[in-house]
Amino acid sequence: MKPRFVSYTTCLLLVLLAARVHGDALPPGVMRIDGPPAPALRLDDLDGNAFDLADSRGHWVFVHFWASWCGPCRREMPGIAKMTGLLADSTIEFVLVNTAETEDAVFSFLGIVAPDLVPLLDSDGLVTEAWQPRGLPATFLVDPAGRLQYQALGGREWGQPAYLDFLRGLTTE
Amino acid sequence: MRTVRRYLTPAIALVSACLLPAAGAIEPPWPGPFVENERILMVLIPRTPEQMAAFYEARGFPPAAIERISRTCFVTVHIENRSQDVIWLQPRQWKLTDGRGEIRPLESDYWKAQWDAVDLPQASRSTFGWTQLPAVRDLQPDEPVGGNIVLPGTTRTFDLDARFQTGADRRGTLIDVRFRNIECPRSGSVQ
Repeated sequence: MKPRFVSYTTCLLLVLLAARVHGDALPPGVMRIDGPPAPALRLDDLDGNAFDLADSRGHWVFVHFWASWCGPCRREMPGIAKMTGLLADSTIEFVLVNTAETEDAVFSFLGIVAPDLVPLLDSDGLVTEAWQPRGLPATFLVDPAGRLQYQALGGREWGQPAYLDFLRGLTTE
Repeated sequence: MRTVRRYLTPAIALVSACLLPAAGAIEPPWPGPFVENERILMVLIPRTPEQMAAFYEARGFPPAAIERISRTCFVTVHIENRSQDVIWLQPRQWKLTDGRGEIRPLESDYWKAQWDAVDLPQASRSTFGWTQLPAVRDLQPDEPVGGNIVLPGTTRTFDLDARFQTGADRRGTLIDVRFRNIECPRSGSVQ
């Protein structure tokens, strides 16, 4: 293969990859947003460990707001558990934020549906309100610079190939 | 062609009362009166006082708050944008009427006064807020939205005329959805 052809092919592949991540190839229900700085996110998780989104610069963060009373949240959670398992070797950090529920309510739901997930507890719901999600469930993707780059509209099937490929594509930009 | 039907079975109503539809698709058979066409799906699920009391009691709401909730009429609304354009959700512009005239839904100011009166904890206020239909939303193609609208308790049937602007600039063809003879289920009407 001639070097020039290899070069053109490489360029074409890079362009196609970029288009896949940034262009029309977004999976259903995922919307690009304008990249404003992500609101503060400092909460303790179900095990009592402190989390601060500001410490997550340098890699993508999947931030997901949910509550166990919300039907679509419950239906979506198994797909999220599957996704986190399949992308365990990626650099994406997965952060689940429970909105305004007690530890008992969170534990009794996740203990059955997704026992490996340890969510942050937004016990009074004020952090969720600061993020202004369009509803529950809500997912934001925060880029390595700490900016909101994508949001998902409502519940999505995160364990499906379209979403997994999209998320993998973020880390290969 | 719009289709309006009533399809409310007690069993489905009880099950659906336990899980409120927020921003996610629901599946047929629709558990209440609905309008479905190529642009929009809109489903109404009127709730009994017992259903709403059970839902909020299970989320730790105190008896004083439950008592205020039980005086009112909750209707869970589910909407999906089936079009390729933006559809504007603005429930304040909907028209609710019964035989005596217009009905004013109980909005956030009303509930804030109620919660202040019973000193409702912030977590419960947050949960209550997320269970309400948003005041404004630019529904994107394929986007669902769900939540409650709350009316003063009534035994009369009422009509709902919902108008939706469309297009990012709100200048697209209007969508009008009409429901007739909606009824707030009375206490004990769902076994």
